[in-house]
Amino acid sequence: MSYYQVPIGPQHPAIKEAFQFNFILDGEVIVDVKPRLGFVHRGIEKGMELRTWVQGIFLAERICGICNVPHTTCYCLAVEKLYDIDVPERAKYLRIIINELNRIHSHLLWIGILGMELGFHTLFMYVWRDREKVMDLVEMISGNRVTPSMNCIGGVVYDITPEMIPIIKRNLDYLEERTKYYKSVLEEDPSIRARTVDVGVLSTEKALDLCAVGPTARASNVKSDVRFDDPYTLYDTIDFNLITYDTCDVWGRAMVRVDETLESISVVRQALDKMRPGPINVKVKRIPPVGEATARVEAPRGELLHYVKSDGKETPYRAKMRTPTMANIPSLCEMLKGYHIADIPAIVASIDPCYCCTERVIFIDPNRGEKWVWSYDELRNYSRKYYGVGV
Amino acid sequence: MDNVFTLIRIFIFPGLLFLSILAFLFEWIDRKAYARFQNRIGPLYAGPSGILQPIADFIKLMGKEDITPRYVDTLIFNNAPIFAVAIPFFASLYLPLDGSPILSSFEGDVVLLLTLMTLYTIIVFIAGWASTNRFSTVGAARAILQFLAYEIPMFISVASVAVYVGSTSLTYISMNQPVPMILLQPIGFIVFIISMQAELERIPFDIPEAESEIVAGWLTEYCGPKLAFLRFAEDLRLVFCSGLATAIFLAGGSGPILPPVVWFVLKMIFIVLLSSYIRSLFARFRIDQMVSGCWRYLIPLSILQLILTRFVEVGLRWL
Amino acid sequence: MAMIREVFKHLFKRPVTVKYPFEKTPIAERYRGKHEFYVDRCVGCGLCARECPALAIELVPSDKNVNGRIPVFYLDKCIFCGQCERICPRAAIRLTKFYELASPDRKTLVYSAG
Repeated sequence: MSYYQVPIGPQHPAIKEAFQFNFILDGEVIVDVKPRLGFVHRGIEKGMELRTWVQGIFLAERICGICNVPHTTCYCLAVEKLYDIDVPERAKYLRIIINELNRIHSHLLWIGILGMELGFHTLFMYVWRDREKVMDLVEMISGNRVTPSMNCIGGVVYDITPEMIPIIKRNLDYLEERTKYYKSVLEEDPSIRARTVDVGVLSTEKALDLCAVGPTARASNVKSDVRFDDPYTLYDTIDFNLITYDTCDVWGRAMVRVDETLESISVVRQALDKMRPGPINVKVKRIPPVGEATARVEAPRGELLHYVKSDGKETPYRAKMRTPTMANIPSLCEMLKGYHIADIPAIVASIDPCYCCTERVIFIDPNRGEKWVWSYDELRNYSRKYYGVGV
Repeated sequence: MDNVFTLIRIFIFPGLLFLSILAFLFEWIDRKAYARFQNRIGPLYAGPSGILQPIADFIKLMGKEDITPRYVDTLIFNNAPIFAVAIPFFASLYLPLDGSPILSSFEGDVVLLLTLMTLYTIIVFIAGWASTNRFSTVGAARAILQFLAYEIPMFISVASVAVYVGSTSLTYISMNQPVPMILLQPIGFIVFIISMQAELERIPFDIPEAESEIVAGWLTEYCGPKLAFLRFAEDLRLVFCSGLATAIFLAGGSGPILPPVVWFVLKMIFIVLLSSYIRSLFARFRIDQMVSGCWRYLIPLSILQLILTRFVEVGLRWL
Repeated sequence: MAMIREVFKHLFKRPVTVKYPFEKTPIAERYRGKHEFYVDRCVGCGLCARECPALAIELVPSDKNVNGRIPVFYLDKCIFCGQCERICPRAAIRLTKFYELASPDRKTLVYSAG
């Protein structure tokens, strides 16, 4: 029997963002897979170079809609290294809280997505309903449900007032109960187990070879978590566990995320208790000194790295990010081989892909190899011409 | 006069018009119940509590542009929706909705009805195949594979009722149940409901049109009026399958006080709610799991029911 | 089997959906919505326009202050980050809790004082 190709994407219900996989199939079995990136490239790294250091925070926040907090945290950590300043202790705990709330919301979102990909719409609806509690907390703390704009260079912007703490704890109690329930669903439900156990296996050796990061690696029994390996913002003062599973399959990845959600809830509680009153940010000069710096944080999807270089001007000389989905795509291609078409959504979802995170690397190059970059003014002119109003 | 009466029975009540209204009503009930199970509201705006939403959807789709892709087999592709609507309509005319069948009743019409359901699957297959889209092709292949798995247990579970009652006429079966068959043959009923879920391509067996895997399966290339017809056909099949389950396992329209047609519809609604409940409980199975599950569990269970039926029959005769 | 009971219970629960245009959920105190601009406090320093990450603020000539310019807010471009509110030395900009900004015409989304 000859092989045939099925393109999944760029527009496909299983893939929420524009991304293409070309599957080479033998009947329903996947023989090979060719990923193709670049559909949602937005030139963010170039955009960073055209914006001031402060504006860069908000651009970094929009690299990814879901893990926006780790992006800003990482960017701010890197820029703070340039300034060589230490942020106040309360700001560090506030960063932990907002990061872990973000992780809870991202992981719960992912459980819903898994349910959706497996055709389990009820689970999807329930999880997303409960996820609203985290969103409400983030809105209460910062004023926005999804993008809190919490970090600034030198600390955080919004403080948690004493009146908020009981509300946060109440919502966390509810979330803990619900997360435990979803854990029991994932453990027991026969149809979920049938679709996820022993599907998308990535062995420990392969995971190490292909540099998998985050929950994908941890489900393959690789102990890697930046919060442990290279603690930032006082994560070393907080007592929590590194979750690993040795099942190496989609089910293991789901369980890692559920358990991490529970751990995150306990981290937020500890941080709330450890927080002492004090300043939440320090004033910094407008332009950092010349130099370069990198920072790493553990985003919900894995290790995130930001690099910035300053040449003493108002804008960064260079900014570069390495996002977890980018690091996980080789592992994903490895996982898919040998499984059925029906397993594609579950396996692709299992790395929690975020393509808009991934795609800032390739330059848009539409005119057959001809490279051109628009300056910021040209872009603004274009937009002005296009819409007839505005800046 | 007699002819006019027959025509009214076929076209208005309890014939095509009534069946169409039931189809839209059942889609609404199904969507509303599914939404409630998921803690949502469901359709809300069209009519009171959104009861007109299925009709609104149908009209909306009828008004859309009718596209026939260039590379499809035009004849099959364009005619499949018509057959898809015609078959469940025709089959539903044998349901004893108000105590007697709309068209006619004869010994062996259960076999005819089950054959018509088979024919529908064939229509699905050739419609998907004629689309020449990769997703449609995979969906069509899955539909026929799935059909190989659920059809046999369904037939056997129906057969065990027919053996017990001693007739293969649907009307006779529904009117001659001392107690509803669901009490005497619970295993058969469970097997039938699970197979019905597969027949109607609903979760956990919505494999031929698995959205996250193969877009819309065999429906991928359909749009506009053709899609409206296919969706209407799905609603009609919901009516037909719930009607069949009612007639065979729930003693049809028999019941105290209320007229048979009300009883029949109420029992059908019960089946629809049961189906929505199952729909909200599971994730989708994979096609190989589904096929092996059907052959490994459903078929032995249905055969067990057939054997038990025999014992019960013999036992009752001894008593 | 944890799901069977849970799903059945929901049949008798109130749906969690909010019928949005008719009923609204409460908004947080710190919500960042449409701007409110106090023209009498503005000194026309232009910091807001310089800091705005989305370039949603433009300075236009005005005789309301010594620097001869006041900001105009393009709410269609605004990302509601609150940076203008934070940077303003005279607290002339405040983000309100108003969020129903959708409009078929971009021109209605230009907000300025007076």
